[in-house]
Amino acid sequence: MTKQQTPLIMGIVIILFFAVFPFVYTGTNYPYVMHIIIAGFYYAILTSSWSMLSGYGGQFSFGHMGFTGIGAYTTALFCHYIYLSPEATNICTEFSIGSQYLVFVNPIGITSSTLVQDCLREALTIWDGSVQVTPMPVWLGIILGIAMGGLFGLLIGLLVLPLRAAYLALFTLGFTEILRAVISSELAITRGQAGLELPMLFENGINLFGKHYDKTDKIPPYFVMFFLLLICLGILYWLAQSKFGLFIRALREDQDAAAALGVNTTKYKIMLFVITSMMAAAAGAFFAHYIGIISPNNLMILQMSLVVSMAVIAGIENIFAAAIGAIIIEFTLEMLRSSFDIPIIGIEVDMTIWRLVVFGALLMITLRLSRNGIIAPIITYFSRGHVAEETVAKRKTSNANEESA
Amino acid sequence: MINLVVKDLNKNFGGLHVLKGVSFEINGPELIGLIGPNGAGKTTLTNVLDGAIKPNSGTVYLDGIRIDQLQPFEVARHGLGRTFQVTRSFRRMTVLENLLVPALALDQGLSRPEIHDKAMEVLEFLTVDHLRNEFAQSLSGGQQKLLELGRLLMLNPDVIILDEPFAGVHPKLMEIIYKYIERVNNDGTAIILISHQMDSIFSLCKRLLVLNYGDLIADGTPDVVKNDPTVIEAYLGVDEDDEGH
Repeated sequence: MTKQQTPLIMGIVIILFFAVFPFVYTGTNYPYVMHIIIAGFYYAILTSSWSMLSGYGGQFSFGHMGFTGIGAYTTALFCHYIYLSPEATNICTEFSIGSQYLVFVNPIGITSSTLVQDCLREALTIWDGSVQVTPMPVWLGIILGIAMGGLFGLLIGLLVLPLRAAYLALFTLGFTEILRAVISSELAITRGQAGLELPMLFENGINLFGKHYDKTDKIPPYFVMFFLLLICLGILYWLAQSKFGLFIRALREDQDAAAALGVNTTKYKIMLFVITSMMAAAAGAFFAHYIGIISPNNLMILQMSLVVSMAVIAGIENIFAAAIGAIIIEFTLEMLRSSFDIPIIGIEVDMTIWRLVVFGALLMITLRLSRNGIIAPIITYFSRGHVAEETVAKRKTSNANEESA
Repeated sequence: MINLVVKDLNKNFGGLHVLKGVSFEINGPELIGLIGPNGAGKTTLTNVLDGAIKPNSGTVYLDGIRIDQLQPFEVARHGLGRTFQVTRSFRRMTVLENLLVPALALDQGLSRPEIHDKAMEVLEFLTVDHLRNEFAQSLSGGQQKLLELGRLLMLNPDVIILDEPFAGVHPKLMEIIYKYIERVNNDGTAIILISHQMDSIFSLCKRLLVLNYGDLIADGTPDVVKNDPTVIEAYLGVDEDDEGH
């Protein structure tokens, strides 16, 4: 095994570890640990795609959580408001599709399960169990969510074309805040801060490895998020190695120089926004179906700061470092939740608050001492550690050749 | 046959008239010096030619295609390449990657190994092949100038504008740049050389364009330009004694 192969071997070991973990871990806090890892996978998708956008492409966007929200809310609204019915309700807005009716439930806001019934519930009451309506498939909602994320990514990409650095960051921050404000205020449709409920990823359970898993079991969503992360990392790695990766790095370094060398900077900037937005939307949509509820709080600036901090601490210019860092940091932050007493002075340290102080301090130290994070330089050490030696050796050879000539 | 036709170019920045009806033509692989005092409009003219700035009026045709309204990447693909006054290498990319960018952007139908071989040839010619896997930021200022020139070779343009290629460069590296200019020119590429180093300009160029406050005040051989009273006045100013006469 050569030194350069070390990151690859470590990558395979990490993948194998997470592939077998749910079957070998037997702790009493199994559901809790599994939940943290699933959340870790979610953040890993967000940080690695944000790392591609900001670290590789130099587009320092604060809109990533906005795209997450677009993905989650698109599938939530789709699954919440649209049903298939074999009979016409004659109360709801509906369209016939073959022998079925596509029923659009009227929005009634946060009172839907208490005071006022929506049109479909009214129809179901009238039918008294004689007609069964079918909810829309979750996978279709997720696909729509991803597509909507891509569409908004395209729009934002077009709007931010002339913007660079701080202006881009402020613009995208404004976009997320507008989105959050709209979702919060449109109570009738989105239920505002009360949140919108979604069907679970596997509402009727699923058979895996010869065993039936209930909709609340952790193993199915664990592997869904794990494979989604692997797919996203695979796509990001392939893009990073292709001419797309080369061009967006040139774009980051010097947009004008890249254009003067024939790179269509507009096209690649927009493509970068669309691809990374779709990944954020996919993560948001899948995670929302795993949690079962989505609220505007998921779009808060604090969440975006968490993603940015994870990427910065791990290493913004390496997608794998960003992904690994996100999982480690998410796990560490959760583990730090336990409060403890300092016996001599009799003070209880409330770690629910202090853990964020620890996190903030780590971020500041990283920024001060290691601009490219903690994990990325380790990967660089193994993958590029030989370069300096090679350069010196080549220089000596060429000098010797010159002298002998 | 290379044909660059610049006709009546005007460019204003607010009230400042930076280019005032500049017209000239390049036919074939000429090696032309573009000179003028600071603020004469040399860099603005370069930016207009490469599409970074759109002119207020006037036209630029390269090999029969109008390029003054195109985007910089389209101008580059049509065959006009440039370097920058202050070196603009892709600092956190390797030397080799810097060369791959224009080659892949141009999509000349070469395979990756062919592009790689071509890049290695260019690096060997520029004597920086041993640095191919180093990040550009670890190169000296002069080596970064060479890298910029190397990127242009990968672009394979018809016309090259070199903006101050000798500024702050060690004499040994300057020799390489001299060789580069001669080789590229002999290979059939027209070169517009912008420099304040008159020795280099006069030894390399057979034709000079002189800009002064946006006006093209001279266009001719170095001997003619050297003795042109308008050029002398622009560079040295007018003697107060002469002014009265």
